[in-house]
Amino acid sequence: MSSVIWYLYEFARKSWAESFAGAATDPEIVETPDRFRDFPQVFPEYCISCGACTSACPAPAAIKLIRSEDNTEEEGKAYPVINNRGCIRCGFCAEVCPTDPKAITCGENHLIKEEFTIIPVAKSYIIDDYLCIRCKKCQKVCPVNCINEIENKMEVDQSQCIACGECLKACPVKGALKAISASTIQEQKEIINLTVNTLEQLIESKRDAITKLAPEKLFKIELPLEELLEKARGIISDEELIMETIERITDRLKMRIITWDDDKCQHCQLCVKECPTGAIKYNDEEDVVERDTQKCIRCSTCYQTCPFGVAGYYIAKFLLDKSETGEEEILITLKPAELPIRG
Amino acid sequence: MLNAVKDVIRKSSIHVCLINTGGCNGCDIEVVALLSPRYDLEQYGIYVHNNPREADVILITGAVSEQWRDKLIRIYNKAPQPKIVVALGNCPLTGDVFNQEGCSVYAPVSDFIPVDAEVSGCPPRPSEILAAILAVGPDAIAAKGRQK
Amino acid sequence: MILPVGPIHPGLKEPLRLKLKTQGEKVLSAEIDYGYVHRGIERIMEGKTWQKAIYLSERVCGICSYIHTQTFAETFEKIAGEQAPLRAQYLRVLTNELDRIQSHFIANSTYFKALEHETLFMYMLSLREPIMDAIELLTGNRVNMGWNVVGGVRMDAKETHLQQIKEIILKLESGYDKYVEMFEQGPLVGLRSHDVGKMSREQAIKARAVGPIGRASGISYDFREDHPTYRDHLDFNVIWRKEGDNFARTMNRFDEVPESIKLIKQVIDNIPSGDVRKKIDIPAGYGEWSNEAPRGEVRYMIESNGNLIRKASIRTPSIMNIDACAKYMLKDVATVADAVATYASVDPCIACAERVVIIDESGQERNFDGIHNIQLE
Repeated sequence: MSSVIWYLYEFARKSWAESFAGAATDPEIVETPDRFRDFPQVFPEYCISCGACTSACPAPAAIKLIRSEDNTEEEGKAYPVINNRGCIRCGFCAEVCPTDPKAITCGENHLIKEEFTIIPVAKSYIIDDYLCIRCKKCQKVCPVNCINEIENKMEVDQSQCIACGECLKACPVKGALKAISASTIQEQKEIINLTVNTLEQLIESKRDAITKLAPEKLFKIELPLEELLEKARGIISDEELIMETIERITDRLKMRIITWDDDKCQHCQLCVKECPTGAIKYNDEEDVVERDTQKCIRCSTCYQTCPFGVAGYYIAKFLLDKSETGEEEILITLKPAELPIRG
Repeated sequence: MLNAVKDVIRKSSIHVCLINTGGCNGCDIEVVALLSPRYDLEQYGIYVHNNPREADVILITGAVSEQWRDKLIRIYNKAPQPKIVVALGNCPLTGDVFNQEGCSVYAPVSDFIPVDAEVSGCPPRPSEILAAILAVGPDAIAAKGRQK
Repeated sequence: MILPVGPIHPGLKEPLRLKLKTQGEKVLSAEIDYGYVHRGIERIMEGKTWQKAIYLSERVCGICSYIHTQTFAETFEKIAGEQAPLRAQYLRVLTNELDRIQSHFIANSTYFKALEHETLFMYMLSLREPIMDAIELLTGNRVNMGWNVVGGVRMDAKETHLQQIKEIILKLESGYDKYVEMFEQGPLVGLRSHDVGKMSREQAIKARAVGPIGRASGISYDFREDHPTYRDHLDFNVIWRKEGDNFARTMNRFDEVPESIKLIKQVIDNIPSGDVRKKIDIPAGYGEWSNEAPRGEVRYMIESNGNLIRKASIRTPSIMNIDACAKYMLKDVATVADAVATYASVDPCIACAERVVIIDESGQERNFDGIHNIQLE
């Protein structure tokens, strides 16, 4: 009973009734502080289309580069668009944007000092000094000026590079400027090994046909790519990277195929010492010399060393092409003139 | 007449079931913050009960993880009609940062159950959630109820 | 009978299945199913640069997201053999303590919700809001702050920010005792908290309980004691208790808040001027670092190849605490309602716990494959 009276006393007061009648949401709960990072704002007029924001973004679906339509006066411009459904509002894109004034702003994050804007690159660009002709075209197109001439060599400053790929488009020499996916080096190695070994096994299996070949004729084999791709997908899921790697192997156009004839081996072990990668080993227990195809780099040093003609090599040429049915395949071409002399 | 009464009742008492289907917990905490006296979700007649059997609104926060693939559909079927599904935060919409190589999430949630409304942000501020819920919530429920 | 609780249950705020074996109202044993929020964060981190992975580490857990980024950054600083500038270290302490306060409030509010004590639940949440304001003021976001980077913090704190935070903290401190008293002296809350879900010191050591749960059972250790910034520049006391019941765990969290307030005041009064960030070149290597999260020890083990993360492994406190809860605390609980309250009192964070490798008692390592049960002994 006493509590009922207490409640009546408590709630019958004028101040309580007033506050009950005038209850409203406090306006301050929708106000945001200065630093609040809302979804980033994009100013396409400042954008240099470098793609630094997309490569920096930690969320996969947040930011996309789109290209406006070409008109009569100028080409269409590419600029980033923020997808609110994927953006995590970290403000990292605004931090790494290299333009001045910034093409992306977010909270106060775009005010962060420039020296700290390190972009996590998916690809590192490397200039091969041997092939570089020092035309400096890459230096001119680089939007962030990270390519410099140092001691008569062109070099990419990796801490500044935003991996936009402009230099690669401008480079007139094939192979002088390379984009390397640094994150999956080990997997790429495995794919290279897989491809090379598959090709070598295929050629070795046709050995009888090759040795009987007439001197003026070419020997051609086709290898459907699908099976190889299937195996490669087990190593890495990025389809684009697999094709790029295989293309790079076949682009070298020729490869030494090492043949290994165990019957002729006299166990002199000369090749074991000479092999630069340790791919050839002498097995004590079974008294045989073994070659590890995974480690072999096809340098043919063993062929030059072996006095008995155990190791031999010949050269095969490759081309990545589409077959008549439209499937990707590798064309392998062998010339009899390059067949092993001591076959 | 009956419909008008039903509308009023549906609009003024909304029961919410919060399901975390594999997120970082941030959105759930922001929903708990909404219960606080400052935002006071209950003044709008919205109650967070976490019980699918009496839910009008199913609030999903999280990319769908392995275990939730079948359970989410089961929970959806248990909720009585009319019901609306709100995807809260970026995880149910796109999978957020988790939807990358090597993950074990199956975003988006709309692959599994129909989603009626979405609130983006990682996580959205409570005031943003509140604004979104009030913008769609009561009317959507009433409209869904009239369809049947 | 077997009484399943969860994964969606009015009493739990996160998905987890608690199977209680009961006889009448009495709980005989408990079994825990994990795996509802397993996202594979460690696997996603592999092959990423730290700039991207730090946002992943932030999303390990939404409640204590701050300490994950700090530990991540400090692990990389350990690999590089460097330290962040002193001002950045002070700012990290400031944010860390603000985060701890809000986490303790939400943990206690969950416990009161489990007890159905709505008033204290609401009080805790309304105390927490100004702290969230302070965090948002300083870092720019309420939950996932994006505040830490390897080599410091992202932005400098302005003097006005620090003064505003100090005001908020002083306001919290002035009325704080009232709420503690409400819990400490309240007869009904006390009745449901005292001597419920007891865990002795030996059991806590056996179950490897950490953080406030371990400290409530008498393990007087706090990882902040070993942290260089706390050890060299700041002064605080480790709070610990002997009882090891629900009351002690909740009180332990209540009592840690004034210590955090003390630390924040020290930071704001003594913060040195200077840079908040420096560029650190990360060599290839392996590093480990532990920090005291609001729930206990969080440990990061990262192997880097200089540019990218080769392997990352995260050990979070919740897994040990939930293990301790299932093994020892739920053993002699009188009612099912108390079992849920006991479970809430260990402040479980399921999003944290979903990346564990559980070592069986036979010593066999078993990878986390979705479901794993912890059986009572």
